[in-house]
Amino acid sequence: MKESYVDLINIRRKVFVEIAKMAYEDTDLNELEKAAYNIIPGEVAKYRENIFRERAVVEERLRLTMGLNVRSMSEFTRVTEGIDEVNVDETKFIPDLVNVITFACEACPTRALKVTDNCRKCLAHPCTNVCPVNAVSIGKDRAIIDQDKCIKCGRCKEACPYSAIVEYQRPCAAVCGVNAIESDHLGRAKINQEKCVSCGRCIIQCPFGAIADKSQIYQLVKALKKKGNMYAMIAPSFIGQFGALTTPEQIVEGIKRLGFKDVVEVSLGADITTLHEAKEFLQKVPNEIPFMGTSCCNSWALMVKNKFPEQYKYISDSASPMVETAKYIKKNNPDAIITFIGPCISKKLEALREEVKDYVHFVITFEELMGMFVAKNIELSEIEISKEIQDASTLGRGYSVAGGVAEAVKKTAQTLDPSREINVESASNLADCVKLMYQAKAGKKNGYLLEGMACPGGCIAGPGTIASTTRVRKAVEEFKNKAHYKTPLDNELIDEELKK
Amino acid sequence: MKVKVCMGSNCTLLGAMNLLDQIESLRELIEENKEYKDEELEIESIKCLGYCKETDEDIAPVVIVDEDVIFKATGQIVMEKIMDKMRIKS
Repeated sequence: MKESYVDLINIRRKVFVEIAKMAYEDTDLNELEKAAYNIIPGEVAKYRENIFRERAVVEERLRLTMGLNVRSMSEFTRVTEGIDEVNVDETKFIPDLVNVITFACEACPTRALKVTDNCRKCLAHPCTNVCPVNAVSIGKDRAIIDQDKCIKCGRCKEACPYSAIVEYQRPCAAVCGVNAIESDHLGRAKINQEKCVSCGRCIIQCPFGAIADKSQIYQLVKALKKKGNMYAMIAPSFIGQFGALTTPEQIVEGIKRLGFKDVVEVSLGADITTLHEAKEFLQKVPNEIPFMGTSCCNSWALMVKNKFPEQYKYISDSASPMVETAKYIKKNNPDAIITFIGPCISKKLEALREEVKDYVHFVITFEELMGMFVAKNIELSEIEISKEIQDASTLGRGYSVAGGVAEAVKKTAQTLDPSREINVESASNLADCVKLMYQAKAGKKNGYLLEGMACPGGCIAGPGTIASTTRVRKAVEEFKNKAHYKTPLDNELIDEELKK
Repeated sequence: MKVKVCMGSNCTLLGAMNLLDQIESLRELIEENKEYKDEELEIESIKCLGYCKETDEDIAPVVIVDEDVIFKATGQIVMEKIMDKMRIKS
């Protein structure tokens, strides 16, 4: 989430409320044709040059939130086109997850160095002197960069004493750590789905709100209305997300009031993952594998799989906390239908994997959950509840902050085998993850435990969050200290066999 | 000076916590600037006051600066109001 993009965030969230309401109230889906008028009322444009385009973009957002594809603008297609396919009470995923709403995209120019008004045509003109390809010359009013010659090294920008040269980049492409943003025939952003690992950073970074992912809230609400065996599990970064007065206990109780039978902390699964990864590390590194990568961040794992296929086998075999938590719930309730609630959109893809799909049935974000609370008129801070949450250890609850996974695995491994020294290194954005993997591939990280996370600062900065990372980091720290168990080895909910 | 930020579900959905962050960030600006009063900036998160339940209009988020109730509060409006009130008038 990018807090300062206020209008964009609010439109996105109003769409979630609208769709959740339609599901709760069993509204005839033909009403979807009118829904954009609820979100963009009146006849005066507020966000874009005209209200028709504003509503058209909202209509695409409504479709994506229903799980439908964006429409092509070159042929007549109703807002409700394909609606029957997604009007179900089970997961329905139509690829792709991350989509460009083409007519919301402003076709921003691609990366370039540009001379601004600040240029004073100075006598020293270091910009021309430092250019390695002689692309900068002094024009009538200011310096000119020959874009055909420019190799974008940025040296002119560094040399200018007036900060007159800026590096311009499309916001979506600038944050993409795997270079998956390309251009279509009209210069609009186009996602290369082969390269994309669905981290969702472009979604929150686009200042025109032109990129969005699909949601499952409609189908989830339908399932909640019909089925009794619905379980939720909530990711470690949930603390502090739902209002400054709302306690973790109230969040859990609020989720139950949406129709879930029970809610489990994903930090419990984190404890289980920690035990698996600690033992795996002790057993395999350095004899079987030179280093080991953590497995909990799906985008990081996908990036390694795509870009470093040879090294993919060095990523831990242990299942992610999401999957371990689901397995824990299933063990006691074999017919459970399980929903993961988190900050992450990449988990929406992880849940579709062959080995995961029987455990995790729905994945929604905190933002989407908040939309459901509002649709159902649930005032979280007014819920009276005293029952404490104690599913996980301090270390498990720390998984959502960058460095937390490696710390948990390292501490646990060293408790199991005090003679071992364990080096860890963490990267917490995709570009840094790629760099770290290049170093590891070159043999520079042998013996290491590598923690990769796609979001800057860890899961607390995920695209589906509501509160700022500073706020959540503090709240997570407090919640960690309230855990009765210090390490996964103390956690009484976990099978003793696993702790040996 | 007292500022109250509503933390009801609707207000939280539409950015109440961001408003709270923005208002809290004013403290250091006021403290280090001599043109502003020494008066303490009291900031409180409050439970839903029910304003939005009484109307069909969109009024969230709600912020109250002293006695002044601001509907559809935005960072720039609320911050300007606070900074203006805290400024020493010559």
